[in-house]
Amino acid sequence: MFTYLRRTTRFGWYNFWRGGSLSLATVFVLIVTISLMASLLIAQGGVKHLIVQIQDKIDISVYLKSDLTQEEVLKTQEKLSDMPEVQTVIMVSKEDALIEFKEKHKNDPVLLESLEIVGVNPFYGSLNIRATTPDQYAAILTVLNSSAMENVVHKVDYVEKKTVIERLSKFISNVNAFGLFLAIALGVVAILVTFNTIRVAIYDSSKEISIMRLVGASNSFIRGPFIVQGIIAGTIAATISFLILFLVTYFSGDRVESITNGFNLFSWFGARAIGLFFLQLATGIVLGVVSSLVAIRKYLTV
Amino acid sequence: MIIFETVSKIYIPKTVALKNVSFEIQDNEFISIVGKSGAGKTTLIKLLLREEPVTNGKIFFREKNIATIKPRNLPVFRRKIGAIFQDYRLLPHKTVFENVAYAMEVMGGTDYEVFRDVPKILRIVGLEDRGNNFPRELSGGEKQRTAIARALAIRPQLIIADEPTGNLDPYHSKDIIHLLEKINDLGTTVILSTHDKAVINGLKRRVVTLSNGEIVRDEQRGRFIL
Repeated sequence: MFTYLRRTTRFGWYNFWRGGSLSLATVFVLIVTISLMASLLIAQGGVKHLIVQIQDKIDISVYLKSDLTQEEVLKTQEKLSDMPEVQTVIMVSKEDALIEFKEKHKNDPVLLESLEIVGVNPFYGSLNIRATTPDQYAAILTVLNSSAMENVVHKVDYVEKKTVIERLSKFISNVNAFGLFLAIALGVVAILVTFNTIRVAIYDSSKEISIMRLVGASNSFIRGPFIVQGIIAGTIAATISFLILFLVTYFSGDRVESITNGFNLFSWFGARAIGLFFLQLATGIVLGVVSSLVAIRKYLTV
Repeated sequence: MIIFETVSKIYIPKTVALKNVSFEIQDNEFISIVGKSGAGKTTLIKLLLREEPVTNGKIFFREKNIATIKPRNLPVFRRKIGAIFQDYRLLPHKTVFENVAYAMEVMGGTDYEVFRDVPKILRIVGLEDRGNNFPRELSGGEKQRTAIARALAIRPQLIIADEPTGNLDPYHSKDIIHLLEKINDLGTTVILSTHDKAVINGLKRRVVTLSNGEIVRDEQRGRFIL
């Protein structure tokens, strides 16, 4: 068994090394396929990051009636927090709103003066509600508009944001579906191209296979070196495409971060480097070996 | 050792390659199969190697009907036969040494046996200096000697040579035939298929003549008559 493995490995390596341009073509196609798969993964990471960023900016502001006691406000906050759809409820009191307004407009004396003329604090206390996912705002809104809340709520600032929120949730689900479709389609194309390249390489060896059979080689003795060749090509391709990704993410990290508002390609890559490498390795080896096995099957029938 | 019993081979739709061929080959015999191109020589060899099935009749190798050999046992059967062809059929990506060694490795020979026997065999065929060359770097005669070395490496009971001199000049042809005679003298049965008149007349051994798929002559110490 050990001799068999050693010989198979040696034959596979010799075949790969002496195969020249065909081996090179196989490795190249595998690099393209593996890099494409990894890029799709990274792109998915980027899109996820963008979506989280946008989702973070959505909320509903509920302005509370000005005659509410502190206790009533807290009770309302608690009630909303208990809803499964709600992620967080942040309270902004009348005083906080005033301070925030003054801070925001400290360079605008006219506005500040008019505040003084009014004499009292004109702001309402409010609750900023954030849902777990954007499509849950409708459910939260129903509760806010119900008669139980009538005595508490002065105004819900949602209608203005409604279209934006709805469009966004639609956009997000579209992006996810389209991304998945694109990934599957590209993946299938890449696998077919790889499979075809390896098939052509093995077709080139069909005469050799018939000679091996004539000399009395068993099917496993013939098949073994081709599997080894697939493993070698897959490993080399995975290593090269890993290095390419490393360089690309290293040099484009900062630029992508500024475009996407905080998605650092290189640190994303760094955090998953080992997993990604093994994923690429597995993709390369599985593609190489499976294509070899399927392609060679045709020539092994007696 | 080998018996052909009313063997016929018909290629679909109706090309008759062999028609009711019957003859017997004894152990340690040197037999030549002669005939014009298309007489059925190559078909006969393909049937004997079970590269193709017979249409009718039976072929026995050491009393075993080769049609009954299961596909998975075919490699073992073929390891008993050393085959040599006009187009050499060497593995192009392996050196001369590796081509010969491959046949032994297929048989399960150990590395010790490979490194002990391959140089000896290469010496027998006169290729001791060509071990590291690839087939593309050899002359026709050297390629054929490599093929013979490979056939010898498995210590076969039978060597089948299908037009081994077809691509060679008269000098190298003689060289190859001498080598086959030497192998036969050492105790291996040899079947030689050829349409080379000079080769046959020089051999003075048994000749089976095929014409249109039928045996028209079978003579001990035969000559080339078509």
